[in-house]
Amino acid sequence: MDLVMTERHHGPEPSTQGTFSLSGSEPVDRALGQWEQALALVALKRDKHAYHELFGYFAPRLRAFGIKMFGNEQQALEMVQDTLLNVWQKAALFDPSRGCASTWIFTIARNVRFDMLRKKQSRKDDISADDLWADGDYPEAEDQQTQKWELWLISEKLAPHFAALPPAQRTVMEKVYLEELSHQEVSDQLGIPLGTVKSRIRLALDRLREALDDSQR
Amino acid sequence: MTHSVKHHPSISLLELYCDGSLNAEVALLVATHLDYCPHCQQLCHDIEADLGGQLAESAAGSSELHATDWLEMMNRITATPQLPKATPAPAPQSLLSIGGYQFELPRALRRIAGHRSKWLSMGGIATARLPSGEPHHASLLFIDKNTDVPLHTHQGLEMTLVLSGEMVDEHGRYVPGDLIINSPDDTHKPRNVSDQPCLCLSVLSAPLQFKEGLTRWLNPLQRFFY
Ligand SMILES: [Zn+2]
Repeated sequence: MDLVMTERHHGPEPSTQGTFSLSGSEPVDRALGQWEQALALVALKRDKHAYHELFGYFAPRLRAFGIKMFGNEQQALEMVQDTLLNVWQKAALFDPSRGCASTWIFTIARNVRFDMLRKKQSRKDDISADDLWADGDYPEAEDQQTQKWELWLISEKLAPHFAALPPAQRTVMEKVYLEELSHQEVSDQLGIPLGTVKSRIRLALDRLREALDDSQR
Repeated sequence: MTHSVKHHPSISLLELYCDGSLNAEVALLVATHLDYCPHCQQLCHDIEADLGGQLAESAAGSSELHATDWLEMMNRITATPQLPKATPAPAPQSLLSIGGYQFELPRALRRIAGHRSKWLSMGGIATARLPSGEPHHASLLFIDKNTDVPLHTHQGLEMTLVLSGEMVDEHGRYVPGDLIINSPDDTHKPRNVSDQPCLCLSVLSAPLQFKEGLTRWLNPLQRFFY
């Protein structure tokens, strides 16, 4: 499972190739906030056109993700359907202040998959995804941590560990620390939300700190 | 007097947790740690954002599925009613009573603790199984004040999370939220040397073997801990 994760494709440019389009319309322009807006329309107006766009973009990606996770198409499609059913029914629960739409959809898929695997093997009183993942219980903290660890980057001790970062995090780190782009510029250039840029930097810094701790042990 | 959490899961463990690929018992342990630990909450938030980003950035893959099949799925979905914006009811707080004490449980354990088996007590120690599947066992472990847990080794991994009170072993002192992971070769002797009772969540992946003279004869002890 770990293997699947690390081998997952990390293209810096979001690929719009193969975007599934039910109506045959052009692949939609992925402006920032597009999916968040679509979710709001689904929640407020039962807007089927907005849902259609979300479905067209995420269904084939979730299917590909599911096939990697389950190893078969039948379960992958079951996961896609359950996930996107939740997206339709629970759109009102999505809170953009807690993260972006893709994160929310990912966590729904993760929970659906967890419960699918679990149900296969045991009882109803068993540990469920609802026990494990509180729905948006934790508020997002701000950047103090990043500030603190940015100082560490001055240290050359970190350099050898830089290459060992997961590709998606390394790409962001290289843009910020080697090309000296601002977080917003990285977000624009890679076409990923600003929040995701910050998340990847925090993760990379924590990982570097862990690597440093280990190497000094 | 409050002590902050010092013993955290590694980033790799948090990644497996966020990814959904940890087994349920260890995932429950990590989820419970998060209830105590803002630092790891933030990390998980970031990991989920990273993974969500990877999903959105991924290629759609060759879609062998026919457009009509997708359309049918979508129509099935949009024919269902949407749910109103209701905040999900938090699991009811319930007090756990054991050894003459009462404990408040963290969010992650509230529902599942209601499904525990009955307590088995021995000396100042008591344990109750939580629903869990082979080969992992999750249980609540109560250690009364000034009580030692018999010296033991384990064939598998033993993970303990302090929920209330405190514990010490050869390696340090642990407060609520602290995660203790012992590898199979680790012989250790956790003790509660404080004047407060201690409650832990324990996850084991194989039977324990006791090393100390007397307890060695107490075969039930092994069952007791497993
Ligand atoms: Zn932590």
